Amino acid sequence: MAYSDKVVDHFNNPRNMGSFKKDEEGVGTGMVGAPECGDVMKLQIKVQNDMIVDAKFKTFGCGSAIASSSLATEWLKGKTIEEAQKIKNTDIVQELNLPPVKIHCSVLAEDAIKAALADYQKKADGILTDAK
Amino acid sequence: MDHHTHSTVGPRELQMARSMCWHCQSEVAGEYFCDRCVKVQPVSKELDYFTCLGFPRRLTIDQHQLEAKFYELSRAFHPDFYQNKSAAEQTISLGNSAMLNTAYRTLRDPIERAEYLLDLEAGSVKEIRNSPPADLFEEILELQDTLNEYRAAGRASETESTLRAKLQSERNTLEQRQRDMEATLQQLFVQWDTLQDRGEATDQARAERDHTLKQMRENLSNRTYVKNIVSDLVSTIG
Repeated sequence: MAYSDKVVDHFNNPRNMGSFKKDEEGVGTGMVGAPECGDVMKLQIKVQNDMIVDAKFKTFGCGSAIASSSLATEWLKGKTIEEAQKIKNTDIVQELNLPPVKIHCSVLAEDAIKAALADYQKKADGILTDAK
Repeated sequence: MDHHTHSTVGPRELQMARSMCWHCQSEVAGEYFCDRCVKVQPVSKELDYFTCLGFPRRLTIDQHQLEAKFYELSRAFHPDFYQNKSAAEQTISLGNSAMLNTAYRTLRDPIERAEYLLDLEAGSVKEIRNSPPADLFEEILELQDTLNEYRAAGRASETESTLRAKLQSERNTLEQRQRDMEATLQQLFVQWDTLQDRGEATDQARAERDHTLKQMRENLSNRTYVKNIVSDLVSTIG
């Protein structure tokens, strides 16, 4: 099975690879794994005034998993929290032209986005409660 | 060959549905051959691999017994023996052989057997997925960085040998951890079998079963993560 050009491009030139400090203000971290294939994905967002100003990822897995998370970080940048919630794995499948056997990679990326957003929200809520 | 003896299965575990012989319409009581007209019967797609091979849903399986049963059924279903039979029987023989091969391949390997059992039992365990092991993930991702550094380092450079030593020691640690996980799994398999053998239907027994399955799921997943990074390590540093 050949990877699509877009997958190869993201794989060879991953965008936004790296990480933020977990406890940094406005950072949300999503850490997910696929027990079936052993892929691990970490996706982080940096939020200012409800806007995702930066995103980073680290993925241990196949080309499609790397491409999915790389694309996800590209899409996340510049989006509001609300807009980010709407990113679906099917969008990733379409953009990267993923074959059926690799759809789970896009699911993993969506899970990572959701987890990062939830983590950010949890931290933000915590700060609010503390301030009261 | 006697197809009516299921020496490895007690009546409790034998859950094959009663159905009708496709040929003579007499009732077939969960056997692969009709009592009356002796025609081969299709193995139901619904049938799980344990039942297909005549084993209870236990995780300790005698390899010799499993192999013997596989050969017995292979001979019974093999397409070569159906060349002079009707088209319907040839189709059944092909389908049964394929199912049998998959069933045997799955049950032969202890890990695949356990994964399969978890799939079968998942319905009974709500939210069988455990939360991801964040520490292990961090470790894996960090190790991946080191692996990338190593790959980028110049051949025979000082950095290369330092990183190589580091990776080698990580590899030893992780391989040990994989072995530990497999030992734990082995204990969980025994625990599951004991619970199955007891066959109690109390709430407590059910809770114990679910707990065992959850632990198994967690261990199997973590083992896959560790195994993956280990194989990456092995292929990189040799």
